Amino acid sequence: MPSVLAEPRTALTMRGLSKTYNGNLALNSLFLQIRPGEIHALLGGNGSGKSTAIKILAGVVPADPGGELTVGDTVAGVSEWTPAKAHAAGLRFVHQQPAVFPELSIAENLAIGAGFPRGIAGRIDWPALHARTKDLLRKYQIAADPKTPLGLLRAADRSRVAIMRALQDRDDADSGVLILDEPTAALPDAEVAHLLDALRGYAAAGQTILYVSHRLDEVLSVADRVTVLRDGVKVDTVETKGLTEAALIELIVGRPLDRVFPASTVEVTDDAALVVRGLAGGPLRGVDLTLRRGEVLGIAGLLGSGRSELLRMLFGAYPRDAGTLVLDGAPYKPGNPDAAMKAGVAYVPEDRQADALLPGQSVRHNLSAGQSRDYYRGLRFHHRVERADSQRSISDFLIRVFNDEQPIETLSGGNQQKVVIARWLRRRPKVLLLDEPTQGVDVGARSEIYQLIRKATEAGTSVILVASEPEELAHSSDRVAVLRGGRITTIVSAPIDAHRLTELMNSSEGTP
Amino acid sequence: MTRAVNRLRTKLSVDEVPAPRAAEDPDAVTQPPAEPPIVVVGPPMSPADDLTPEAPRPRRRSAGTLAMSVFRQYSLPILLVVSVLIYSLWGGDVSSTFNTSANWQNIAASQAVSGVLTLGILLTLVSGNFDLSIGNICGLSSVMTAAAYSHWHFPLVVGILFGIVLGGAVGGMNGFLSTTLRVDPFIITLGTASIILGFIDWYTHGQAIINGIPGSLVTFGRTNFLGIPEIAWVLAVVALLIYYVLEHTPYGRALHAIGSNRAAAKLVGIRVERTITSAFALTGAFAGVAGVLLLAHTGSGNPTIGPTFTLAALASAFLGAVSFKVGRLNVAGTLVAVFFLGVNIQGLTFAGVQNWITEVFTGMTLILAVALAAVLSKERKAKRPTAAPTSSAEQTRNPA
Repeated sequence: MPSVLAEPRTALTMRGLSKTYNGNLALNSLFLQIRPGEIHALLGGNGSGKSTAIKILAGVVPADPGGELTVGDTVAGVSEWTPAKAHAAGLRFVHQQPAVFPELSIAENLAIGAGFPRGIAGRIDWPALHARTKDLLRKYQIAADPKTPLGLLRAADRSRVAIMRALQDRDDADSGVLILDEPTAALPDAEVAHLLDALRGYAAAGQTILYVSHRLDEVLSVADRVTVLRDGVKVDTVETKGLTEAALIELIVGRPLDRVFPASTVEVTDDAALVVRGLAGGPLRGVDLTLRRGEVLGIAGLLGSGRSELLRMLFGAYPRDAGTLVLDGAPYKPGNPDAAMKAGVAYVPEDRQADALLPGQSVRHNLSAGQSRDYYRGLRFHHRVERADSQRSISDFLIRVFNDEQPIETLSGGNQQKVVIARWLRRRPKVLLLDEPTQGVDVGARSEIYQLIRKATEAGTSVILVASEPEELAHSSDRVAVLRGGRITTIVSAPIDAHRLTELMNSSEGTP
Repeated sequence: MTRAVNRLRTKLSVDEVPAPRAAEDPDAVTQPPAEPPIVVVGPPMSPADDLTPEAPRPRRRSAGTLAMSVFRQYSLPILLVVSVLIYSLWGGDVSSTFNTSANWQNIAASQAVSGVLTLGILLTLVSGNFDLSIGNICGLSSVMTAAAYSHWHFPLVVGILFGIVLGGAVGGMNGFLSTTLRVDPFIITLGTASIILGFIDWYTHGQAIINGIPGSLVTFGRTNFLGIPEIAWVLAVVALLIYYVLEHTPYGRALHAIGSNRAAAKLVGIRVERTITSAFALTGAFAGVAGVLLLAHTGSGNPTIGPTFTLAALASAFLGAVSFKVGRLNVAGTLVAVFFLGVNIQGLTFAGVQNWITEVFTGMTLILAVALAAVLSKERKAKRPTAAPTSSAEQTRNPA
């Protein structure tokens, strides 16, 4: 083996990587060098080519002929690149939803792919497996027992175990590259920092990491350098030191930040669209709020602060223990989502896949979900009216589709979310409740979504917005209410400072 | 993290299910044989893709692939025609018996029972739920309608209504139990099926109710109108009704939405529990109708024949999802599938194959249909022309 060779200058080099899908260039002659021991972030919107690049690297998608990959000492043309070769060269992949088994123990999770150590008569040698797992857990600084079911670990530690599993056969961290595809997408906020800390530790120990993510703040905090792709072309590779989030967004989208989050143009009046008094239930212990007509009221709160439950209660989808609600001057007591909708309240849930989309159903049916009764008159279903409405929604809400009969799951995340938002906004709700409306959505679509929300407020809709990124809240809200300990502790009016919001969310300041 | 994985599951359950028997020849039915375990797979749920799929590129569809997709869409009707041709051209006694209007009327009449049953279960299947008790409900309705008339001397109309309402009540109980206890209806209805089996055995002592079956009902079950058996007309009406409900009413939309994503359906204002319970009740009521038709067609309240219909109904429903609206349960496909099964079982019987062919053929059809439905619904998603290739990032880059 060529271990006598000098240490390679780069851990991974991609040269001239291109990929054409049906005449469309998804990736255009990508050149990318990753230094040993660095955390290199790969950024870009949906369709920018970053997933294609990762898939080529993994050997699951064949690249167009002509490119070349160098991993450590292995040099290969793209045409001969296979998953086995990628593995042999030392590339290790951990995907967004790592295939871990929550019911099985950590040790079993480790062995399930790599093989169990065997003893006499082929029985599993549990002591050996547990000992090996214990060593690995120590090495990766995860405080857990090998026999613990994985599902009992905190979310970040589950991801760390997935990483540990990917790297378990690599004793030297000096060669090879760990490729993480959106590792934090499925993690709650509080867990992200924990995982990022771990990644920094691995990098410090010499592990090279290629990090793909949507979340800019993470990239800035964890990566050494970042490469931005846009429409299959590399825009630039830059050092993250001294880079601001605004500058990074400009690289990704190609235009300045102030155009991403449109400023309020609505004259917010003082009359109340929704008044909440003493709302309690679940984690909430008496929330008082007044939503003014035409405003975007942000809710800042940590995970578990009750921000999602608050929205669900206002939509009748979570039991309320106490409190009065007044909607447009009339008492409002939603017993279920149906009643809330009839009263003019709309709700975009946090988890699009689990709680909003109807997979397998067409875009049209997803748009009209929950309002099909409106099309049913005199025992006839007025399909033509529905079709016309869906065409109008597609153009009004900038949804990019081939036609409205294609299944919803063939759309990109941003377009799926626009369908969900259109589903509600087309009803012209009095109050729109948004829970993380831009999760898993690229910066470009995010900007469009906020423009749509602004447009709705101009038409008289009032919005309550929950978002975990303080930047996003600060930019897109007229006022922000801070939710801590089940109560609203502070209300911040414009100008809203993101750092101040972060402080308020975490500190006990203002707690009654 | 596990939630998405869980939702990806194509609900796979293994259970012993009574194998179906020949529907067209009830007199030949004696007792169920020892059934082999059969794998029943859930309705072709479309799993959610990964969280942020790359916008796929549009595909140019050549004439070849278009022809291929048309062929696939109509493969089941084509298979039905091919089957008919095979038995017609078999030669000898097979063809001469097969090619008679009497035979066609027999197939139409016998498939009317399983057809109504299958169309009824579409309502529950579309909502993503299973009902393994429909065959038993059908048998219960048939026996109890006979009992109401001949044992308790109620008027015929009351007896028929009793059978149908009883079916609806049992179905509604299935739905109510599974939604309130939050137990998989697979289990609930398996239990219901067994309870009904025991109840019928207790009531009939295993003896068919033969005496005192109303003549008008039996006549209805054995005469033709415009050359088509009267009970097949009932099937036609039920088919139109189910088609209307599933595709042209808000209720049908709600069932589709629940089958696609229950949590999301709830959050767009659909009263999920109520809707599912009513779907079970309707499925049960249609099984009740099928039971009355069964009584009319066979002229006896037979305690053993009902359960044999369950598997055939499931097989037809899933086989139906392979054609017309590929990957989706649909009425037209279901009807073709019902007759595909009927023609083949009848044809094979004429060809001298023993009775066991019915179970084997139905079982194989079920497995094949479900496998095909799963593959096709996956393909349908992968192959559909789709979103414009431009990313939203690109579009917004150009200032308006």
